[in-house]
Amino acid sequence: MDIYQIQDIDHYYGDKQVISIDDLAIAPASIVGLIGPNGSGKSTLLKLLGFLEEPTYGTILFNGREKSSFSNGDRFKITLMTQDPYLMHRSVFDNVAYGLKIRGDTKDIRNRVGEALDLVGLAPENFTRRKWYELSGGEAQRVALAARLVLKPEVLLLDEPTASVDADSARLIKKASLQAREEWGATLVVATHDWQWLYETCDSVLHLLHGRIFKGGLGCAVYGPWRIGQNDLLQKELEDGQILVAPKPVEGKQFAVLDPSRLKITLPGKYPLLEWNIDRLNGFVTRLFLERNGDTVQTAIKVAELVITIRMERERVEKLQLYPGKEVTIAYDTRDIEWF
Amino acid sequence: MDFFQEGFAQAVTLLVNRDPATYSAISATIRASSLAMAASLLLGIPFGYLLGYFDFRLKKFIRIVVNTLLSLPTVFIGLIIYALLTRNGPLGEAGLLFTITGIAIGQTILSLPIVIALTATAVEAADRNLRITLMSLGASSFQIAKSTLWEVRLGILAAAVTATGRVLTEVGISLMVGGNIKWQTRTITTAIALETNKGEFGMGIALGLVLLLIAFAVNIFLAGLRRRA
Repeated sequence: MDIYQIQDIDHYYGDKQVISIDDLAIAPASIVGLIGPNGSGKSTLLKLLGFLEEPTYGTILFNGREKSSFSNGDRFKITLMTQDPYLMHRSVFDNVAYGLKIRGDTKDIRNRVGEALDLVGLAPENFTRRKWYELSGGEAQRVALAARLVLKPEVLLLDEPTASVDADSARLIKKASLQAREEWGATLVVATHDWQWLYETCDSVLHLLHGRIFKGGLGCAVYGPWRIGQNDLLQKELEDGQILVAPKPVEGKQFAVLDPSRLKITLPGKYPLLEWNIDRLNGFVTRLFLERNGDTVQTAIKVAELVITIRMERERVEKLQLYPGKEVTIAYDTRDIEWF
Repeated sequence: MDFFQEGFAQAVTLLVNRDPATYSAISATIRASSLAMAASLLLGIPFGYLLGYFDFRLKKFIRIVVNTLLSLPTVFIGLIIYALLTRNGPLGEAGLLFTITGIAIGQTILSLPIVIALTATAVEAADRNLRITLMSLGASSFQIAKSTLWEVRLGILAAAVTATGRVLTEVGISLMVGGNIKWQTRTITTAIALETNKGEFGMGIALGLVLLLIAFAVNIFLAGLRRRA
């Protein structure tokens, strides 16, 4: 059974819709990466998965149960580390031991706190007695992670855990998180901008844009101003003068999204079909990243001010002989552009 | 300038020779302000906490009222309490006029808004990540409230320091409600007022220095608490 099942959730802050996911399942003991630009809903989705907020509409099932039928035990199985984790104004020991104490689970607490600190690369003999203000940013982040690992959670939700720490701390945080899965089979959901981590260690990567999940890569949002062109289509002039064509939006929708799974990549001048509804944009490859499965490559292409990341078959990348800097053409069906 | 030298020398003499009148005034001051501080902390911390922690409809209005009460003049409080406690007043039966308890009631009204306002500010200023962090570690609503109170303890200590200073040094309430009765309700501040009226400036300055010494001792104690916290 999936550890999480999400069904038709819509989440609002005031009038603003921040999450809209029809269907999502997360398998136990898997590592799921979340990627998307700032404001794409990653943190909100993590809070929903942590049951710290309830979705405005729809249900999230954890081990087949809704929050209303949770026992204390269920609540204790999930923990979230926010982007700027707060360290309580206490010693490192008290910070790490807090979760165990409120669970009344204080047996052998010194050793367990020590082990958790070891796991994140902080020597217990040097750190347990330190005050919260005697830690560097990276150390504080690792103490916060230790405070979660000591609980041996079934689900560990991490919100950009390595965004603001030094390289060494980032390495130790990644290592400790992976150990959580290896040692007690924790399920990890990690929001990060660290591509290497995402594609080397995650079993699946969810691309989030404006609260929606895109399957074929990272969607690319296009904002106005638009002008009305031929055939009643809208035109957006990009910074380099290229024109992006889109159908007219339904009222109330604000931006157009290029869904990467519907885009076709060719070399310039090689696209044979010239149908009325197919349009083209020229850009160049900025980054290629082989995913953990070894079969697909995340290919980032810059078109004027837009960056579109597309998941491509490895064979196709080889056939086109793509490399960073190589010019490519993206063909898209204007009818496929969606408005949100 | 002779007053200052005289006053300093006299302060030392009064303390070293254990002058009974001085020690009686010190005792009255400490008893009244301890009672007042105990009452205002007991009432003010929970109320200030609720005011800072929860959002409700009248919150802003209550904050304005509490902030306004920060400017309550001590003589006005003295007047109101006097009117309430005087023999013909609504609470005259209690017999609290011209007693230490009477002074303490007035001083509680003086210090309560300080404790409430500063506690509420400390709670409001708590990091917005605190709540979500505690929730994510599995804390219940009660545990979140308890831990938040502990997190803002330095702010609450600051409220206590400020209120103590105000209570120790006020003169209006002690004079009007206490009546400045020697050996009974004469506090250091009312004694200073009396000595100044008598033209005994040196004695007044001596008592002022004694009061500062008490304030110093109280703050050393609170600083100790702060370091341990």
